[in-house]
Amino acid sequence: MDARVTGGMDLNWPEPGVCDAVPYGVFNEREVYDREMERIYQGPTWNFLGLAVEVPNAGDYKSTFIGDIPVVMTRDDDGNIYAWENRCAHRGALVIRDSCGSSDGSHTCVYHQWSFNNKGDLIGVPFRRGLGGNGGMPDDFDMKENPVRKIRTEDYKGAVFGTFDWDMEDVDSYLGGDSVVNGHVKRIFNRPVKVLGHARQYIDSNWKFYAENTKDPYHASLLHLFHMTFGLYRSSQTGGVRLSNDWNSVLFSESGTDDEKAMEEIDDAHLRTFQSDYSLEDMSLLAGRAGEWNDNTTLVILSIMPSLVIQQIQNTLAVRQILPKSESEFELVWTFFGYEDDDEELTNIRLKQINLIGPAGMISMEDGESSVICQQAISRSRNARNVLQMGGRTPEDQDHLVTESTIRGFWKKYRELMAY
Amino acid sequence: MSDQVRSDTRLSSVSRDVRDQIADLQADYIAALDSQDMKGWLASFDENNSSYFCRSKENEDEGLEVGYMFDDCHERICDRVKFVDEIWAGTFEEYQTRHFLQPTRCKSLGEDLYSAQTNFTVMYTDDAGITKVLASGCYDDEIVVNGVARLRSRKAVLDTNVVPRYMVYPI
Repeated sequence: MDARVTGGMDLNWPEPGVCDAVPYGVFNEREVYDREMERIYQGPTWNFLGLAVEVPNAGDYKSTFIGDIPVVMTRDDDGNIYAWENRCAHRGALVIRDSCGSSDGSHTCVYHQWSFNNKGDLIGVPFRRGLGGNGGMPDDFDMKENPVRKIRTEDYKGAVFGTFDWDMEDVDSYLGGDSVVNGHVKRIFNRPVKVLGHARQYIDSNWKFYAENTKDPYHASLLHLFHMTFGLYRSSQTGGVRLSNDWNSVLFSESGTDDEKAMEEIDDAHLRTFQSDYSLEDMSLLAGRAGEWNDNTTLVILSIMPSLVIQQIQNTLAVRQILPKSESEFELVWTFFGYEDDDEELTNIRLKQINLIGPAGMISMEDGESSVICQQAISRSRNARNVLQMGGRTPEDQDHLVTESTIRGFWKKYRELMAY
Repeated sequence: MSDQVRSDTRLSSVSRDVRDQIADLQADYIAALDSQDMKGWLASFDENNSSYFCRSKENEDEGLEVGYMFDDCHERICDRVKFVDEIWAGTFEEYQTRHFLQPTRCKSLGEDLYSAQTNFTVMYTDDAGITKVLASGCYDDEIVVNGVARLRSRKAVLDTNVVPRYMVYPI
């Protein structure tokens, strides 16, 4: 059967309910991608739009994307944040053309100067009554019936989410209510944040290879030599994985808690990852500040599907927004942040430790590459399947880091939403 | 820019000898990076006191200090050499770079210190042999010139706000 007709339905899926393998066709077929834009990004999901502090004042706006759909989030005089598709209701041009800015509360399309308020309602149409008795819109043209396409938004503890599905549960429920996953979201957003800066990288890979990566605690000590070398993160440390609503997940660990027997096993395995004897000239990079959250957790990777990663690595805090561009490309947008009440020393610690993350990060550069080499390998493998059996065959919470449990959770929910 | 400011920061506002030393420094710097010689890169910096920052114009324009690379002391520059040469070795796909520079401004800051601005374009060629633009931007430098020129501080500001893939080597 032609994949263009089936949209991936004919892929070599395992039996329903089995999520320890998926066919590679999901990573490189346009029809699957188009279905994702419909059923996931415009479906029952909350998509990260930005931090509320990025639009601090009425009239401020930020343009971004839900999936590959251009959208705008704005703050209105009423103090609330609104969002709408960045497509003029008239003829389809971008209303907002820059990445962020401030306005007087009206947003005017450059093409024919139709203008919209912060809520997305149409408030101005030039020549609506015509000129000198000529032209003009029909008498029954109703401004109220021609807003830009509106997006439901929620400012959840300073993180702004948007959805095209107006019947969605609220963000708190989406994140799992009282779940451990949501507990980690609340831990990181426990007080007002301030933006430290952005980084953006364009990666020639399907967005889901990266999504899998952010749910995978098992690769981190094998791929990221910096982690292993300096003991920031090893699979032998105290840590675990938790799921909420199947595909939202958190992986967390505490540095300095290596299990001795596990360390010996790592040593015996002669993995390329285990190098000792390295030291840094500038140890302040690693020193950081302990106990910022009154606990021992040094690494938290929250993967909030479909578009958001929230992370704490040592003292660094960042959100990563995953923006699909095609079946084989995505842009990764990093927003680094600290807290409003950070002292100068702590800000400097964060700036210095940001060397660890981002497109040139000591422990994140490799994630970009790993996604690319996966994409390169699967060009003609639509019905071959990957293997997702580390730590079992089902999605479940686990108190260790040697697992792909959370990736299985992702695919379970994915199949449900995509009706595969 | 006024005529006065322009003439004060023109390349010809400093002596030919100083310009030559700075030109040698810039050439050595890019020759080192384009041959993946991280120790050669390190040798371009003043070992007593130096810093290296690589950041996007987007952050620079907003006055945000966050960088792709944030080496605020000479020790951190040394550590970057170790990361690339020893810790990362064998894990990333190597890529060939070519830096192209064009000096635009130079000015004496007193004694043996000079400020300089230099445009750059960096091309990269991957394993498959395909060449693309890695970044375009401007170096904003402070350079010590005393018989030999060394970088006191280098800020590589990238117009390229979205970088392709990832960056291993400094710009």
